[in-house]
Amino acid sequence: MAYFIQLVFAGIALGCIYALIGLGFTIIFKASEVINFAQGSLLLVGAYIVSAGVYEWHLPFLLALLLGIIITSCIGLLFERFALRRMIGRPVFSILMITIGLDIVLRTLVIARWGSNPIPAATPFQFTSGFTIGGVHFGADELWTIIVTVLVCAALYYFFRFTKYGLAMRATAIDQEAALAMGINIRTVYALAWGISAAIATVGGIFLAINVVAIDPTLGNIALFAFPAIILGGIDSVSGAVVGGIIIGLAVVVTAGYESHFANILGAGFHEIAPYLLMILVLLIRPYGIFGTRKVERI
Amino acid sequence: MSDATEQHTKPAPLLSVEDISVRFAGIKALTDVSFQVLPGELFAVIGPNGAGKTSLFNVLSRVYQPVAGRVTFDGHDLLLLKAHQAVRIGISRTFQNPGQFPTSTIMDYMLLGRHTRMRSGILAGGLYLGMTRNEEKKNRAYCLHLLDLLGLKHLSNHTLGSLPYGLQKRADLARALALEPKLLLLDEPVAGMNLEESEDIASVILDIKEQLGVTQILVEHDMAVVMGIADRILVLDFGRVIAQGVPAEIQANPDVIKAYLGEEFESGAVYSSETMPIPIDDSQ
Amino acid sequence: MSASPATRKRSIDAEAQPPRLLGSLSRWIALCLIVVVTIVFFSVATEDWFTIVNFTLIAAIASLGLNILSGYAGQVSLGMAFFMSIGAYTAAVLGGTPPTTPLDPLGLGLSFLIWLPASGIVAALVGALVGPTALRLKGFYLGIVTLALVFIGNYIFMNARGVSGGPQGRTFPVPAIGDFSFDQQNTILGITLTSGQQFFLLILPVLVLSALFAGNVMRSRAGRAFKAVRDNEVGATVMGVNLFETKMGAFILSSFLAGIAGALFASFSRYVIPNYWSLALSIEFVAAIIVGGIASIWGSILGAAFVFGLPLVIDQFSLLPVGSSSGGLSSGDLNALIYGVLIIAFLLFEPGGVIGLARRGQALLRKRNSHGGEGGEAAEITDLPSSAGTYVDMENPAVTKGEET
Repeated sequence: MAYFIQLVFAGIALGCIYALIGLGFTIIFKASEVINFAQGSLLLVGAYIVSAGVYEWHLPFLLALLLGIIITSCIGLLFERFALRRMIGRPVFSILMITIGLDIVLRTLVIARWGSNPIPAATPFQFTSGFTIGGVHFGADELWTIIVTVLVCAALYYFFRFTKYGLAMRATAIDQEAALAMGINIRTVYALAWGISAAIATVGGIFLAINVVAIDPTLGNIALFAFPAIILGGIDSVSGAVVGGIIIGLAVVVTAGYESHFANILGAGFHEIAPYLLMILVLLIRPYGIFGTRKVERI
Repeated sequence: MSDATEQHTKPAPLLSVEDISVRFAGIKALTDVSFQVLPGELFAVIGPNGAGKTSLFNVLSRVYQPVAGRVTFDGHDLLLLKAHQAVRIGISRTFQNPGQFPTSTIMDYMLLGRHTRMRSGILAGGLYLGMTRNEEKKNRAYCLHLLDLLGLKHLSNHTLGSLPYGLQKRADLARALALEPKLLLLDEPVAGMNLEESEDIASVILDIKEQLGVTQILVEHDMAVVMGIADRILVLDFGRVIAQGVPAEIQANPDVIKAYLGEEFESGAVYSSETMPIPIDDSQ
Repeated sequence: MSASPATRKRSIDAEAQPPRLLGSLSRWIALCLIVVVTIVFFSVATEDWFTIVNFTLIAAIASLGLNILSGYAGQVSLGMAFFMSIGAYTAAVLGGTPPTTPLDPLGLGLSFLIWLPASGIVAALVGALVGPTALRLKGFYLGIVTLALVFIGNYIFMNARGVSGGPQGRTFPVPAIGDFSFDQQNTILGITLTSGQQFFLLILPVLVLSALFAGNVMRSRAGRAFKAVRDNEVGATVMGVNLFETKMGAFILSSFLAGIAGALFASFSRYVIPNYWSLALSIEFVAAIIVGGIASIWGSILGAAFVFGLPLVIDQFSLLPVGSSSGGLSSGDLNALIYGVLIIAFLLFEPGGVIGLARRGQALLRKRNSHGGEGGEAAEITDLPSSAGTYVDMENPAVTKGEET
């Protein structure tokens, strides 16, 4: 039983990471209807910069974190400004592919600079910190992941509900033309969306890095699980990203925790496809995800 | 069922729409709309912006499913059919915005119009059997003839996207005709055209009625065209039918006048087609 | 009107020939050139070059499949690697050497005349199972589901030792005619053929037939339906296109080619591990059709040459300096960087790929030569032809209904 609770806790923590990554994705999608496949490698760049900041350039952790956020935000902003703007009106396939192109470029640039071998992840936590209750260990890093995710969600809620730019973003997400007509600067909204998204992705990436202890260029692949998370939740729903992330996180960890018992039926590695199976299951019942909204077809 | 059996002087209606209602996203697009269209008729649907005209067309071309009501077309229960099946039984439609397929050549676009009249599947097409070869040849000839009639033959190798708007609309009309339809739905056929172009299209529409005997339903804002060529008119406002009848009746109908112009003009003054004010343009 | 309707009809009928594959002199010349180059290549190339070309041709078959599905029919798919693996493992189970110990993977030892077509057919059947999802899901959703297929396939094949040999992989069958097996040099009718040459003689016709088939489909009714569905689904249905049939057809045809390509690839490589059929491989095919040219037969082939062939050429001639261990890219990574940049560049500036560039060049040349007849000039519409009532009766084309002038 303690084992199960341990798994649930770890699952929620991992789920929070996916929620953060997914949130970043959903914000961009809501603002500009763009599918950003490069979310994984933006996160990768962020994680590497923070590690490099701490271990190569000997910066304090928070400063390195800030540097990571700034750089990934800039990459997102530049990409939006010079590449995505020109793709407005193009088919989904093309937009998806151009972000895949960015994903490939970013990943190979990371390899070019830091090589393919793992480097240590930067972490402000001690490995054994945290506390234990009844045989269940609540690690500090996981606790912080959950806390930070809650804080980010609260901050986003406040931002979207009560600030001028937050309202502008929501208006743009609902109807761009109407927003334009009201005098909202769409460019600023896009830029903000990409900036916030990259920042959140970096934070998620840091926690992911801490989770895996040593990072290598395949970190972006773990981020791939964020896609089933957001699809399951609904790509245009902020709450969907969070709920979806947590469900996926739980699915991965709990399956991984128990799959050795079923090894003769399931073989190895079932937890790696559990998110995708869950996603397909949900899509069969609700093609737009749990909280996603159906677009009305018009001609 | 319908009143068709009682109309011993008129032929049975080709299309019979009974009490259809359309709802989506909390909007009541159509409520209890009923009308009939006789074979060979030129039937027009008019109404202010947001009245539900396009929703009506979307029901007839089976893009929307109404939440209530019945539609009978040529003896078929239309609401049981999907969009492509409706095409097979003879319903053809033009697009409000003809730029949907900009990279297609006019000829390929016309051949798409002939899609339900042709048979080659992937296997036959891939092997390019005799059937496919003949089919291509015959249908291309047919499409060229049709393009010729509409003065577009010389553009058959040009892409839709390279044409000016007026010619795109004309090509779309040709494509809708290529199907050899029983019912032609024309979605704002003269939108965005000048007087000369509108008159051209209007005369084509009349030719389709008189020479080809194709039944047509027209959604249009240009009152001069509508009053000039329509046999009967249906007026929608906020998703409901507010008037039905011949052009003269509609022009004199106070509810229609109120819908377009507002309360002040309800006094019932008669407007002729020359003085009928131009409704505000759609910003759709 | 100057000409009677009958004359006009005859002249129009004459114009109504569908565009032909070898319609013009320039195309005949091009064909002859290609044949000559192929013959010369076949006679003088070294075995290394055959390896490069054979891999490229196999990749071209798969690219063609992907272009049919995504380029022509507009269905987003990252699942190419999955369908290729289905084909490969079908070939392995049907054609592999029968197991001698319980640890050996399955194999029935059948001829390639069975396993090669079967690889396509089984992959096509799986494609038919996946096809219906494309009816419920579009765009990004479909893309991620096809991506999921790759991972699920990986999981299945990593665990299905009997089929795939488990994580360490297995050998794949090689085509053989009688005693002559393609993996050795053989002498047939007095001519000695190397392994590479024998494979070439199998792969090239498969590619040519596939390309001809695909090209025919695209210039007939089914191909037009594909493109209509790509450009505007709802608009296509309103014109009479059956979405289910069209999407299913695209998936089936595309997976068939993917299966064949997967079987050929595995056979030619002789030994493949299940990890090979990865998301990265799927993405490489998408890169190939973007760089080569979406919705273009030649584009698929050129794109495959670029994304798959060029790195092999670079490796062959060590055109790249070897990187250091801590920073620096392997040739695979550098290739990925290049086609990543190219994807972005082409999508931004020339969505038609290399073929699109070539067409633009052609159009520019033609414009210089002709009197600049730019499409789009408003036609002089003085009056509609007075034979507007002439209506061609398709059942009986010789008779025209309506009034005559």
